[in-house]
Amino acid sequence: MAERVVTRMRNPDFELVESSKKMNKEQTRRSLTYWKDAWRRLKNNRLAMVGLAGVILIILFGVIGPWFSPYSYSDQDNRFTNIPPRFEIYAIADDGYVFLSSQYNLILVNEKGELLDKLVRTNMDAINKIYTYDYEGEEIEVDFKNRLLEDDGGVDIKVTYKNVTSIYPTKTVSNKTFPWGTDNLGRDMLTRIMFGARISLTVAFVATLVNLIIGVTYGAISGLEGGTADDIMMRSVDVINSIPLVLYVILLMVIIDDQGLWTIIITLGSVYWVGMARLVRGQVLGLKEQEYVLAARTIGVSKAKIISKHLIPNAMGPIIVSMTMMIPSAVFTEAFLSFIGLGVSAPMASWGTLANDALAGLSTYPYQLFAPSIAIALTMLSFNFLGDGLRSALDPRLRKG
Amino acid sequence: MIGYYLKRIVSALFTLFIIATLTFFMMRAIPGGPFTREKPLPPQIIAQLNAKYNLDDPVIVQYFNYMKGIATFDLGPSFKELGLTVNDLIRQGFPGSMKVGFVAVMFIILFGIPLGIISALKQNKAIDHVVMVMATIGVTVPSFVVATLYIYFISSRISWIPITGLSNPLAYIGPAIALSGYSLSYVARLTRSSMLEVLRQDYIRTARANGLSEFRVIGKHALKNAMIPVITYVGPMIAAILTGSFVVERIFSINGIGRYFVESVNNRDYTVIIGMTVFYSALYIVMVLLVDIGYSLIDPRIKLGRKSGD
Amino acid sequence: MSKILEVKNLRTTFFTHLGEVQAVRGISFDLDEGGILGIVGESGSGKSVTSLSIMGLVDEPGKIVEGEIFFQGTDLTKLDHKDMMQFRGNEISMIFQDPMTSINPAFTIGNQLREVIMAHSDLNKDQAHERALELLKMVGIPDPESRIKNFPYQFSGGMRQRALIAMAIANNPKLLIADEPTTALDVTIQAQILELMRDLKDKINSSVILITHDLGVISEICDKVIVMYGGMIMEKADIKNLFAHPQHPYTRGLLLSIPTNVTGKKKRLIPIEGSPPDLMDPPSGCPFSPRCPHAMEICLKKAAPLFKISETQEASCWLHHQDAPEVSGMVKVEGEQS
Ligand SMILES: Nc1ncnc2c1ncn2[C@@H]1O[C@H](COP(=O)(O)OP(=O)(O)OP(=O)(O)O)[C@@H](O)[C@H]1O
Ligand code: SF4
Ligand SMILES: [Mg+2]
Repeated sequence: MAERVVTRMRNPDFELVESSKKMNKEQTRRSLTYWKDAWRRLKNNRLAMVGLAGVILIILFGVIGPWFSPYSYSDQDNRFTNIPPRFEIYAIADDGYVFLSSQYNLILVNEKGELLDKLVRTNMDAINKIYTYDYEGEEIEVDFKNRLLEDDGGVDIKVTYKNVTSIYPTKTVSNKTFPWGTDNLGRDMLTRIMFGARISLTVAFVATLVNLIIGVTYGAISGLEGGTADDIMMRSVDVINSIPLVLYVILLMVIIDDQGLWTIIITLGSVYWVGMARLVRGQVLGLKEQEYVLAARTIGVSKAKIISKHLIPNAMGPIIVSMTMMIPSAVFTEAFLSFIGLGVSAPMASWGTLANDALAGLSTYPYQLFAPSIAIALTMLSFNFLGDGLRSALDPRLRKG
Repeated sequence: MIGYYLKRIVSALFTLFIIATLTFFMMRAIPGGPFTREKPLPPQIIAQLNAKYNLDDPVIVQYFNYMKGIATFDLGPSFKELGLTVNDLIRQGFPGSMKVGFVAVMFIILFGIPLGIISALKQNKAIDHVVMVMATIGVTVPSFVVATLYIYFISSRISWIPITGLSNPLAYIGPAIALSGYSLSYVARLTRSSMLEVLRQDYIRTARANGLSEFRVIGKHALKNAMIPVITYVGPMIAAILTGSFVVERIFSINGIGRYFVESVNNRDYTVIIGMTVFYSALYIVMVLLVDIGYSLIDPRIKLGRKSGD
Repeated sequence: MSKILEVKNLRTTFFTHLGEVQAVRGISFDLDEGGILGIVGESGSGKSVTSLSIMGLVDEPGKIVEGEIFFQGTDLTKLDHKDMMQFRGNEISMIFQDPMTSINPAFTIGNQLREVIMAHSDLNKDQAHERALELLKMVGIPDPESRIKNFPYQFSGGMRQRALIAMAIANNPKLLIADEPTTALDVTIQAQILELMRDLKDKINSSVILITHDLGVISEICDKVIVMYGGMIMEKADIKNLFAHPQHPYTRGLLLSIPTNVTGKKKRLIPIEGSPPDLMDPPSGCPFSPRCPHAMEICLKKAAPLFKISETQEASCWLHHQDAPEVSGMVKVEGEQS
C-alpha cells in the first residue's frame, strides 16, 4: 500500500501548484477606472460615435468654416439674388450660357456653373410672355409661356439668340459661385449658415454654461444645506417647474426688447437651470452621506470646498449627460424664438432667423429654408445621439459587464 | 386621499398667484410703459391713455385691480387692437387651437404609445430600429421644419389638400403632424424605455412564474406600470398642444391663440402678451393638476400622500 | 422513492454582447418526491439560473444550450411556451428572493392572487376570492378579509413574502422552488417564513428546492444538499454527511465561514480567500482551483469528475483520486463516476 502511494505520487499531474500560478488566471478582469470604462463603452456605441463626429463637424463648420469663405455674412451682390444651388443652363454662344432665375433675371454663366453677370433686361412683353435681354449688343429673347401652362409638352422656356432657339436646357449645373445659393439680397447662403452656426452654437453653449453654473450651485447648496433651506429652495423649484417656461422666455425677450446675442443667452440661461438643480441636488443628497464627505465635514472643510472638491466631481457623469441634452434644446429654443421674430437682429442671423426669413419664399426658393432646417436638424440629431450614448455609457447601473 | 387632492389644489392656486404677480411686475418693468412707439406719442395723449386704462393709479391699486380681474377671468383690454379685449381674442382663437390640438393629441396617443410598446417588445429587431430612428428624427426636427416640408412636398403638390386654414377635414393633417411630431416621437421613446424598464422588473418574472399568459403579463402587469411616466408627460403635453403652437398656427395661417400670441409679440401688445401668458399658464397648471389626480388613481402608492421617487 | 425532478447535464449560457457568460455548466441532480433539496453556493455560482432554467424563465440573451429537465417524466426543455405555461404556477411554482420587488405594486393583493387561481382552474371570480382568502389565512396573514383589498405597499416585507408564497401554493404545486426566500428579510421573520414553508410543504404535499447561501438554513430544513460553484456542482450529499465530513475543499471553506453555531459550539468566521471565477472566461480546470489551497497541476487542466464517496455523497475533486496527496478527512475512491 505504501509502495503504491509512493509510485503514484510521482504522477506530475498531482503535484501541488504555487499560488502565484493559480492567481494569474483568475484576476485578469481588468479594473478600469470609471472614465476609461465609460469611454470604452461609448466607443462601442456606433450611433454615439456618429453623433460625436457630427458634433465635431458642426463645430468646425461654424468656427473655421467662415475663414475659408470669400464672403462675409453681410456681403450683398444685388445682381445675384435668390440664385439656387443648381440650375438649368441654355447655350447661347461658344462658352456663353444663361439661366433664367425665378425672378426672371437672366444670368450669364459659364459651363462650369460660375456666375458671370446679370444681363440687362431691355424689354418686357408681359402679354406674350416674352422678355428681351441684352448680351454684347445682341438681343436674347426668352419665351416662358410654357412655364405657366398645365401641359407644357416637356418644354420649360425657349431661349432665342441670333435666330437660334434652344428649347431644352443644355444641362443642369451646380452653382460654383454660391454653392448653397443666395438669399433675396444676394448674400451667400453657405456663409450665412456658417455664421448662423456660430450664433446658434454660441447661444446654446453659453446658455447651457449659465444654466450649469446656476443649476449646480443651487442644487449643491440645497442638497448640502438640507433642512428648511432645502425645503424652501426645492419648493421654489417646484413652482418654477410648473410654469410653462417658453412663455417667460418670450416675455423676458419682449421686455428687454433688445435683439442682441446677449439678451437671448441671458434669457435662456436664466430660465432652464431647474432640471440641473434638481439633478445635482439628488446626486449631492446621495453623496453627502458617504464617508469621505462626512469626514471632510467633521474636520471643518468649508462648504464651497466640499462642493467643488468632492461633490461635483462625483456627480460629473449625470451632469455631463444632462448638459449634452441641454445644448440641442437650447439650439431648438433659440431657433424657435428667432422663428417667431425674437432672434438676433439683422444682418446677423441664426439658423432660426434664416429659416424665418426663408418662410415667405418657400414655394419659390425652398433651398433657402432647407439649408438652415437641415443644419438645425443635424445638430439636434448629433447631440441627441451623443447624449443618449453618454447616458448609457455613464450609467453606473450598467457597469457590471 | 382628500387631503392629498386639497394640498395639490392649494399649491396649484399658489403657483397661479405667483405667476400672476410675476407677470404684473414684468409688465410694469417695460421701459417707458406700454405706449412707447417708434414715433413718440404726445405726452397729453399718453396721459389720456394712462387715465383711460387706470395706469395713473398707485401701483398697489393697479396690482389689486389686476388680480381682481384675473380672479374674475377678466384679462383686460388690448392696447393695440382697439375695442378688443384679451378675452375676446382667446374666445376667437381657442376653438381653432383646440380642434387642431385635439387631432394632434389623438395622433400622439393612437400612434406614439402603440409604437413604443411594439418597439419594446421587439427590442433590437428591425421594427424596433425603424421606429426608434424615426422617433429620434421626430424629436430632433423642429416643428417649423416639419410644417414647411409638409407644405412644400405635400399640400402644395396635391391640389385637394388645402395649404392653409381649416376649411376641410384634410386641412387638419398637416398642422396635426407638425404639432404632434415631437411629442409623438417622444411618447414612443418614453413608452419604449418605460416598458423595457418594467419588463426587467422582478414582478414581471413573478407573473410569468405564476403561469400567466404573455398577453396578461404584458397587457396587464407591464402596461399599467409602464404607463405611469407616460401619463406624467402626456398631461402637461396636452395642455401645451391644445393651446396651440405658435409656429404651426403661424405657418398654416390658423386663427388660433398661438397665432394671436405671436402677433401680439410682434406688435408688442403687452396686455395681450401678458393676458395670454396667464391664461396659458393657468390651463397648463390645471392640466398638470388633473394629471396628478389621474396618476394617483393609477399608482396606489401616491394615495398615502407619499412622494413617488423621481 | 420515485423522482419528481431529474436534471441531466444542464448547461445555460448568456450570450451577451460582451461575450458568453456560462452561468450553468453541465450540472445533473435529481429530487425525490416529497424531498427538500438545498442548493448552496456563493453569489454568482449559478443557483438562480439553475432554478430559472427549470421554470423556463431564463431571460433574453440567456439560453439552455444543452441538457434535459424531466419533471415527472416530461422533458420541460422540449415544451413550447404554451405547454410550459400549464406547468408554471400550477405544477411548479417559484418564490423569489426580494418580496419588495417581486410583487406588482399596481394591483391589490387580492387581484393578483385571484388571477393566479383563475389562470389554472375553472373557479369563477367569487370562488377564486374565497380561495384567495383561504390562502391568505394559510400563510398566516391576519384579518384576510380586509387585507385582501390592500395594495402591496401596505404590506411589510414579511407579509409580502407570505402573499407571494400564497400565490405560489395557490394551485397546490408538486414542486416548489424557493430562491433565497428569506435573504431580504430580517432574522426573526426569516425563521417564521421557513417554518411556514415547511408546514405548507406537508399540507399540500409537495417537493421543495430551497436555494440559499446560508448553510444554517440548509441544516435546518433540507434533507439533501447540492453545493454549487462557478456554475458546476462541487458536492452532493445528504445533510448529515455534508456537515459531518464534507468531501470538497470548497464545502469545507463554506462550513468554516458559517457565522452561527450550527455544529453546536461557536466557531470563528473564516472567509474563503479570493473571489468567484469570471464566468465569461472560466478556469479551464476545476473552477475552485484559483482559490483552493490543495490545487494540483491536474486541477488547472481538467475539472474533476464526481467521485462517489458513498451511497449518499459525491464530490467533484481530484483529491479523491488515488494519485492525489493525502489530505486529512478526504476519502480516496477506487473508481470514478461522472
Ligand atoms: N440576464 C443575465 N445576463 C447575463 N448574465 C447573467 C444574467 N443572469 C445571470 N447572469 C450571470 O450568471 C451567473 C450566475 O448567476 P446567478 O444569478 O445564478 O447566481 P446566484 O448563484 O443565484 O447568485 P446569488 O446568490 O447572488 O443570487 C452570474 O455570473 C451572473 O452574472
Ligand atoms: S479539484 Fe483540485 S482545485 Fe478543485 S477543489 Fe479539488 S483539489 Fe481543489
Ligand atoms: Mg440568485
